[in-house]
Amino acid sequence: MLDMRGNDVAGVFPVRNHPVSKGRLCVRGWHVHELINSNERIKTPLIRKDGVLVPATYEEAIALLVENLSRYKNDAADNTGFLASPRASNEENFLLMKLARSVFNTSNICLDSDPGHRNSIDVMHAGTGMAGMIGSLEDIARAEYLLVLGSDITKQNPIIGSELHMAARAGAKLVTIDTRNTQIAHLSDRFIQLKPGSYKVALAYMATVLLEERRTDEDFIKRQTEGYDGFVGCLSFLKESEVEEKTGIDLESLKETARELARAKTAMAFFSSGISGFDRDTIGYLFNLFMLAGKIGKEGCGVNPITGICNLQGSYDMGIAPDLLTGYQSITDAAVRDKFNKEWNVRLSARPGRPIDDLLMDRSRGLKALVAVDHDETVIRHHDEIDAIEFVAYIGTYHNPFADLADVVLPIASYIESDGTFTNTERRVQLFREKRKPLDGIMPGWELYTAIAKAAGASWTYTSPADVMGEIARLTPEYSDIRYDKLTDSFGIQWPCTADNPGGTPRFSIEKAAKKITFVPTDWSFMVPPVSEEYPVQLVIGEAQHFWHQNNLMKKTTIPLREYNATLLLYPQGYVAVSPEDAKRLTVRDRANVKIISPYGSMEAMVQITDKVKPNTAYVAYFVDDMVTRFFLAHKSVMKRGEDETVPLSIVKE
Amino acid sequence: MYRISKDKVNDIAAALAEEHTLYAPALQRETLQVMFTQIKDLARINLTAALPLVPPKHVVFPQFGRTLSYAYDKAKQEVKFTPETDNSPKALFGVRACDLTGIQCLDRFYLGQDFVDEVYRDHRKKMFIVANTCVTPFRECFCSCMDSGPSAREGFDMNLTDLGNEYLIEIGSEKGETLAKKLSLASAPESAKRDREKAVDKSLSLFSKTAKDNKAWISRVVNRVTTGLFDEKAWTYIGDQCLECGACSFVCPSCSCFNVVDSVTGKDSAERTRTWDSCSFEGYSRMAGGHNPRKPVEDRRSKRCFCKLSYSQSKKYLRHGCVGCGRCAWVCPGDIGMPNVVTYIRREITKKGQ
Repeated sequence: MLDMRGNDVAGVFPVRNHPVSKGRLCVRGWHVHELINSNERIKTPLIRKDGVLVPATYEEAIALLVENLSRYKNDAADNTGFLASPRASNEENFLLMKLARSVFNTSNICLDSDPGHRNSIDVMHAGTGMAGMIGSLEDIARAEYLLVLGSDITKQNPIIGSELHMAARAGAKLVTIDTRNTQIAHLSDRFIQLKPGSYKVALAYMATVLLEERRTDEDFIKRQTEGYDGFVGCLSFLKESEVEEKTGIDLESLKETARELARAKTAMAFFSSGISGFDRDTIGYLFNLFMLAGKIGKEGCGVNPITGICNLQGSYDMGIAPDLLTGYQSITDAAVRDKFNKEWNVRLSARPGRPIDDLLMDRSRGLKALVAVDHDETVIRHHDEIDAIEFVAYIGTYHNPFADLADVVLPIASYIESDGTFTNTERRVQLFREKRKPLDGIMPGWELYTAIAKAAGASWTYTSPADVMGEIARLTPEYSDIRYDKLTDSFGIQWPCTADNPGGTPRFSIEKAAKKITFVPTDWSFMVPPVSEEYPVQLVIGEAQHFWHQNNLMKKTTIPLREYNATLLLYPQGYVAVSPEDAKRLTVRDRANVKIISPYGSMEAMVQITDKVKPNTAYVAYFVDDMVTRFFLAHKSVMKRGEDETVPLSIVKE
Repeated sequence: MYRISKDKVNDIAAALAEEHTLYAPALQRETLQVMFTQIKDLARINLTAALPLVPPKHVVFPQFGRTLSYAYDKAKQEVKFTPETDNSPKALFGVRACDLTGIQCLDRFYLGQDFVDEVYRDHRKKMFIVANTCVTPFRECFCSCMDSGPSAREGFDMNLTDLGNEYLIEIGSEKGETLAKKLSLASAPESAKRDREKAVDKSLSLFSKTAKDNKAWISRVVNRVTTGLFDEKAWTYIGDQCLECGACSFVCPSCSCFNVVDSVTGKDSAERTRTWDSCSFEGYSRMAGGHNPRKPVEDRRSKRCFCKLSYSQSKKYLRHGCVGCGRCAWVCPGDIGMPNVVTYIRREITKKGQ
């Protein structure tokens, strides 16, 4: 809730009656008005003339955009791409997706800052048919056993972290498995500090313990599931003798953790779904472990990926993926395409697109036109490739490095200047109402996309975001009974929300499932990242309270910016966190300069000495521009796979 | 002393609304929570509603606001400063005693020391305050322990007390008296004073049902926080649970810390904004040059409690900084609101051997 004074936003108010936040806000939430009040808002459309961006009217800018995209229309599937924003509303993302596919003939549309969540969605969908978190945040208070994996959750997702902390104080067993000694690790009953890259081994071992000690929920497995034998087959490839060496954890604590999970009546797991998320196979092992323990589809149970951006889940729901239409419907499915073709009066191609990241890395497939919305990541990773593209359009509310490379810049109103829905990590679709009219005649996103479609000859007739939701509901089974009048004055509805189930679905429920749930396919390789004498240190990448991706939004605030700067003043080029033992071995003090060397590249950085990491593990907060450009560019593939992949390093004193 | 029947009490609000921007407690439609914000439809005013989600601090001290803009005239080589303060008349109708006490703390911080803060002074200048006695305490309140309620003793223009079928009105200023005359309020008999005392006593007696754990311990914890005579491990225990969000300061009726930022608005122009700040942030206590006397989070937590509970700090406010509204406990994601802090320190000082 915002403290509106006329058109001014003077502050924020928490919402105590909200079923999830219960009056709490994170540090970013408490300062969102500072972002809205930023002076870096784009106030007029811009067109590049003789190398310089100059003000233009919407008509001119839209005409230029349409003219250019139309030029590539015949081969758009190869040469045109759209980068959508995980912060845009469902309505905006739906229209952008429709614009790309139905008007400009391309399925090259994706989010780039978040490969991790797709992994989670895929696993949950393969296992249960529900493409999102299968538990519910309100259920945390009902779980006896809570497992946090690889997430600094009190800093990254403080409200959920808080809920876990409160539950632990009320008597639930809280267990953290992480490579770093985080705040939630401190607050846990049990903390297991793994070697980087060994989550899968640890989870697989816990699964074998359940099997060997006959602690699996046999009745549940027999009656409700399939695919059990396949998973057991995979587990047989795990050698018990190697587990301790690979994870760095004594077997007894892993055994005890597995037993506690089995003994508890209800259990939930939480992990983050982002740059610091897991690879698909690790998520699969986690899901299957909970299947063995019979902790799926019941009250107080579930495996729960946590999205880190406000509408990350909603963006996937809206079909922001090369191969998906809305609600996880595949574009290769003819019946699905038929439905969309009828509604949109087009003929969609059955060919899935490709992720923009791939297209940019693969120069032979020359991307010729790129439309980006409110982005900060790709432009840093692929600055030169984007600079080389013939036509770049940037659509957003605030100035951004992308705009410097754009041929046309189209501003859109901020989220408080339009109605729109956002879908949170537990599939809760929430309506945000317009709080003020857009300033300076800026168009809301839905209006802009409609205007672009019309200029390109399509006959879009939306008169409000509610209209757009009407179309989303017609095309998307999970959203079929979601309407603005239902969302008004509510705290949101969790999808699937259908005519038979108008109140929505707080959690995946085994009784209501149409078919048996499935152990998800996993592989049986239990490799851990190799350490050599040459590169003895494993580097892990993560996020923290004031550091989030490229901090493009944080940098437009006041207080969070100061906090960010407080760290940067100490460590101007960012830092690499090492253990006191490693620091002693290197004979360096805090803030000393070191060189970190990997097989792919090297960089200079300062050390931060902390007991949060173990010897031979190093940690880098994924936030400093310089570090990303200079060092991680050489490790693009690693960044894409998530935290379970690590960079082997050696650290030398400068 | 005057009285007014319950169905007429909004006449006071209506009279105030003629010349003031009116703020009063009301149930917010979308979220069904009590908010103390600007109100235009007087029928929405709810004087029996629970303690508002946030105190009316934001009226005198907005979370974010421009205080100055300045522009450089290149030709004249002159800088033109335009201060932006707001001295429009504002009325707070139905303020609870704890929140009024919070405003008094702010007054002493902003107006009662060597320097008078003009921005705050202008917000406060033409303010009319109608306080409202809590005849039943709310579940999480402990004003009785912090000597800030349940009925206001000072700082109001009018003070309402619900006596069952009517409100008793005490007058606290000439402005209050003038308004009472203007409304031709009926004067209350001398006996009404006793009725009021009875109502307040009854309210006080109800506290023992709700604020049982910590109540008797606050004064002892104040003593120990001032002298530091307990194991510092209690602060580590508390600090471990702090998520560093700043919520405790933002909802605190007496927290007055702010940050000032100048930002560029054009080629030759800039503006100055002032925002709420919180001692829970690492950057809050960091000094120029990088030294931070309160870097670890537990040191920042102890700073907050020192501000709210210690004798030395009380000299500044002429009372405790904590007003016992309980809001920090509502909003704290780490569950270390003031009542729990008192509990943890109590636990430390009642350990064997101390």
